[in-house]
Amino acid sequence: MAGTGKLCISLTCAKNDTDKATVAFVVANAAVASNQDTMVFLSIEGARLSQKGYADDIHEEGFAALKDLMENFVKADGKIWVCSPCFKKRKLDEANLLAGATIVGGAKLVEFLSDGTPCVSY
Amino acid sequence: MSDSQENPALTYHESWDAGDLGCGELVLPLRFKLKAMQPGQVIRVRATDPGAPTDLPAWCRMTGDTLVHHDATHHYYFIRRKAI
Repeated sequence: MAGTGKLCISLTCAKNDTDKATVAFVVANAAVASNQDTMVFLSIEGARLSQKGYADDIHEEGFAALKDLMENFVKADGKIWVCSPCFKKRKLDEANLLAGATIVGGAKLVEFLSDGTPCVSY
Repeated sequence: MSDSQENPALTYHESWDAGDLGCGELVLPLRFKLKAMQPGQVIRVRATDPGAPTDLPAWCRMTGDTLVHHDATHHYYFIRRKAI
């Protein structure tokens, strides 16, 4: 069966699990480098990664710094979508949103997945 | 009702101020409100949630309803119920 050419990476962690946060973007970079229309969905604590500067001090041993992984992902036209209710609950700042990040609600996510697009969760 | 005498395209039949509701808290009540309307009628929704500008167009594409107009300045969305 032919794929959709798209991939969702769902990331629910930030500084509460920097290993997961890092690996999610490593995989996302692999996907975008493989010509997949790749979207990282940041929800729950992961929503904090949408803020400029937040990831600057996250550097897992054995991996590139998370900030670099995220910047490269956006540079390669990867999409970062941020869960709107998660963003609001944490009182995050729209004015401090990362370049390339978009705040979305559930309908936007569901539409992205509704054609059978696979999702990998961290 | 009309939003502007100068723009008849903005005529609507119902209005709902959703405030800062977003995600499922926005689209499920909206679905109920649209279902109570006649096909072809338009609802004007005011939604200030930061996800609404991407969410409501996506929701309309999935449901088959039509986003007639988005007034970003006033956070208004004019949505026409699809024909049966």
